Amino acid sequence: MKKKVLATLLSVAMVSSVLAGCGSSDSSSTGDAAAETTDDAATDDAAAEESTDEAAAEEEEIPTSTFGDPNGTHLEMWTFVELHGQHYGNMVELWNEQNPDRTIEITCTTYPYSDMHTKLLTSLTAGTGAPDICDVEIGQYPNVVAGLDTWLVPLDDYAAPYMDTMVQARMDVYAGSDGHYYGAPYHVGAFVMYYNVAAMSEAMGLTQDEVIAKIDSVVTWDDYAALGQEYVDAIATEGKYWTSVDTGGVDWQWIAMAEYGEDWTGGFDGTANVQLDSVKTMLTMEQDWLNTGLAEVSPDGHVDLEAGFQNILDHNIVSFPKAMWYMSRFTNYMPEESGNWYIAKCPVFEEGQICSVGVGGTGTVVTQQSANQELAAEFLCWAKMSEEGEQLIWDNLGFDVCNTALWNDDAFAHDDSNQYNQFFINYPYDVLYEIKDDIGTIYTVAISPTINEQMCNVTLNDILENGMDVDEALQAAQDVVDLEQ
Amino acid sequence: MAKRSSVNDKVEGGMRAKRNVLTVLATGWFAILSLIIVFPLFAGLIASFRPGTELIRKGLSIDLDFSTMTLANYTYLFGGNADSQKYFMWFKNSLILTFVSVVLTLIVCYIVAYGLSMYNYKLKNFLFFLVIATMMVPFEILILPLYKEMISLNLIDTTAGVVLPGICGASTIFFFRQYMTGLPKELLDAGRIDGATEYGICFKIMMPITKPAFAAMSILCAMGAWNNVLWPMLVYRSAEKFTLPIGLNTLLTPYGNNYDVLIAGSMFGIIPVFVVFLCFQRYFIDGMTAGAVKG
Amino acid sequence: MSKFKKFFYSQKAAPYVFVLPFILSFAFFWIYPLCSTIVMSFQNITATGTEWVGLDNFIKLTKDTVFHTAILNSFEYMILTLVLLIPFPMLFAVLMDSRLVKAKGFWKACLYLPALTSVVISGTLFRLMFSEYSTGQMNLITSALGLGTFKWLKMKATGLAALLIVCCWRWTGVNMLYFISGLKAIDTSLYESADIDGASAWQKFRYVTIPLLKPTTIYVLTISVYAGLAMFMESYMLWAGPDSPNNIGLTIVGYLYKRGIAKNQLGYGSAVGIVLLVIALAINIVQLVLNGTFKKEED
Repeated sequence: MKKKVLATLLSVAMVSSVLAGCGSSDSSSTGDAAAETTDDAATDDAAAEESTDEAAAEEEEIPTSTFGDPNGTHLEMWTFVELHGQHYGNMVELWNEQNPDRTIEITCTTYPYSDMHTKLLTSLTAGTGAPDICDVEIGQYPNVVAGLDTWLVPLDDYAAPYMDTMVQARMDVYAGSDGHYYGAPYHVGAFVMYYNVAAMSEAMGLTQDEVIAKIDSVVTWDDYAALGQEYVDAIATEGKYWTSVDTGGVDWQWIAMAEYGEDWTGGFDGTANVQLDSVKTMLTMEQDWLNTGLAEVSPDGHVDLEAGFQNILDHNIVSFPKAMWYMSRFTNYMPEESGNWYIAKCPVFEEGQICSVGVGGTGTVVTQQSANQELAAEFLCWAKMSEEGEQLIWDNLGFDVCNTALWNDDAFAHDDSNQYNQFFINYPYDVLYEIKDDIGTIYTVAISPTINEQMCNVTLNDILENGMDVDEALQAAQDVVDLEQ
Repeated sequence: MAKRSSVNDKVEGGMRAKRNVLTVLATGWFAILSLIIVFPLFAGLIASFRPGTELIRKGLSIDLDFSTMTLANYTYLFGGNADSQKYFMWFKNSLILTFVSVVLTLIVCYIVAYGLSMYNYKLKNFLFFLVIATMMVPFEILILPLYKEMISLNLIDTTAGVVLPGICGASTIFFFRQYMTGLPKELLDAGRIDGATEYGICFKIMMPITKPAFAAMSILCAMGAWNNVLWPMLVYRSAEKFTLPIGLNTLLTPYGNNYDVLIAGSMFGIIPVFVVFLCFQRYFIDGMTAGAVKG
Repeated sequence: MSKFKKFFYSQKAAPYVFVLPFILSFAFFWIYPLCSTIVMSFQNITATGTEWVGLDNFIKLTKDTVFHTAILNSFEYMILTLVLLIPFPMLFAVLMDSRLVKAKGFWKACLYLPALTSVVISGTLFRLMFSEYSTGQMNLITSALGLGTFKWLKMKATGLAALLIVCCWRWTGVNMLYFISGLKAIDTSLYESADIDGASAWQKFRYVTIPLLKPTTIYVLTISVYAGLAMFMESYMLWAGPDSPNNIGLTIVGYLYKRGIAKNQLGYGSAVGIVLLVIALAINIVQLVLNGTFKKEED
């Protein structure tokens, strides 16, 4: 027995010594460099420790995922983003102050993204086991809203007090086929254009204000491409592009459809048709850009992934269209880009078209399995649509809130202590307020997941990566979509 | 070996030289292979000493830039904060679940395999066929009905619900059966003559002999239980019951991945299974020997 | 009572008592769910109700090009894993078992390490390594070799290669250990008599090792066929979800997951499961019968 223990210890020691060996041999070769940067490293470490402590302190204020009054009505909540759960935690405290006679205790559980949706669907199907309140990602939403009022509680009555200031289009996205609202939105997800003004002014030899003037004069996609050509000609470096087009997301197609007022899902009553002129125009334009060296295909498919962040950090692309919620990616993953970026509205194909569309999102639902449906629904709508709730959503989650009354509220929109207002050259809400009436909607219906899947998995790859003919690829996609309807 | 004629010495010397070269080559080959195999884990280990933002910046790079390397991820992981408490709760849950399911699975599978290998009776081959059949049905296709069943049996959110469906692991039964087929049946008759009951023979005489098989299977079962994700995820409902892989998976969201804890936590999570493996490695090989896999 | 006790302790009843746990588990956790799956494959189950649709699900499968891709992928993957994960681990095992290798325990532990790693962890590591970005490890290696960079996880060939690399990485060590254990069971006197007959190393391998390793090979083959066909988590982690460009990483179980679980189409998903079941059973039964696993023991 002793021998065995000894052998085990020896093996462990061997492993560690080998690993240590690797480390030390390398360290000797990089010794000088390491010595040079020791001072920096020390300060970095101290900074890192500080921030860790801070984070820890912050965390400790909320030691468990249960919030609120232990004697209040208990609600279960599922989410796949821990920050979302904390939002409800903060809101519950506020609710209990305002409603001492109807206090709430809420338990928020964070599950892995796909597992949470799976779990929700299986519990809804099984008729038992679902929580009171649940976050549902928009891509998964059609599967959940398919249950209509047998599964979910209609929120119409509870949302009514806030409806006159809410962005109608965002409420419609979470409506069921019976016209009732089943989900409460976090954000508009308004599609805008992000420009790296610092990189552009450096490459083009212009001042920041001159660059911004050029950006502001962009109206159509042609203008946008022309400005891009100017930049690409100025920098004239291999691997540097104006923008990147997505094969792993349909955002570009959505903005095209919104501008032309089309919708490939056909809405709740129509049939899906992906062979739309707007989609073809956009795809053809993207193909041209790839051929002329104006654009590259986004590494790993779209800009909202690690490789995408890296691409932006390396200034391989200096502009791209994305939803407003992408702001938090800058502050989380690209903090050193602070002060370089400018947000502007999206170009259009023809003047006079609307220039934005609500992209992405998470709708929060109340299930019929809840024992306290009324309280849950009232609390949910209050937490996500009231001014108090929207303030916290903006401060903590960085979303472009759906309550339009706040968009030109100076104290809300121009608060200089807000991290996003600090990060970008201009105030994000100024852009949002400007396009207030230009935000279109693409519906999310039963066929949506099929269309998105086919586009992201096959069609966009065929067209943008493999250079396939646009009409041909869209016909193939239509065949797949037709099999499902 | 000891006595050799001097004539052979020269030949022997040449052979030895050749043998030495071969030894170096063969050992070198395994060294290279091991390096390749360990490389991704090594890269992960290096990454665990980097801030999460570095991972996004440089990918899984192995250039040892000490200026950016820091123990922050680990101090954070062991720091006693909320994340760290959560992590060790997952860790503890995984240990408990693994222990319970390994012990139960081994005992049940041993008994079943004993019944399938030590006696001759009509249904034996048919039952063995059923065991093989269960092995060939991907678990995924049974998940939905099984989940409903767990709810109606009131086993949802319980460890029993996680462990029971997998307790008769077909491959484990298969292995035990193969192992025991190779054991001498005379022992049974000897036991009977000594007045032992059938059950006494099973537990008191045969079980000790099967020890190597237990050791081998304990590693495989522990591995499976420690790394199992899909089913525990469906059955466990409360966050305080999550196991390590489920918990680590919660750190990956479409709204930003928590790489700081993920990579450090993952690297640390490999350790327990590795320790079990090192402890039982000897048995593992021995257990699979002795005619273990006689088709 | 004592009559029952006597029967309970009899040699006739004992085997049935021993296999009882299996029979119970088989009935509750296998036959019942399996039957439910079969029933559901003939149904269309929606949130609002269940209707019988006969063979509609299966007819739709014959037209579903995505499903055909999944079947093709699973087969390609399975066959290639068999080609890679049987001969090479066998050779490594023979080498490892010879007296030529020093520090065996350490190498074995190293080779086994990947199997101890959760797919959640290894998948994430490999996804980062196969990044199409130029800092991805694989692209660093290929560009160092002068091959340029690849969009690894976007092209059919490189995507399959990535999957196979992950698979070999995880299972080479395990299969090698299986073969080593098989080798240990071979009577060394056979090699000695072969030596006396003047057999070369190759002849010993061909005429002694391979035939006597047959039982192990069958075991490894059986589990590899099954694991190859049912592969899912590897692809799931490599592409961070069940979707991949041009469905290059889609497998049968992946499609079942997408339809049955992610999209909650229980009926259609069950039909996919039934097709997989039929394929797996057919392959394995043919294979086991050919190898004579069911033949009566003669001892």
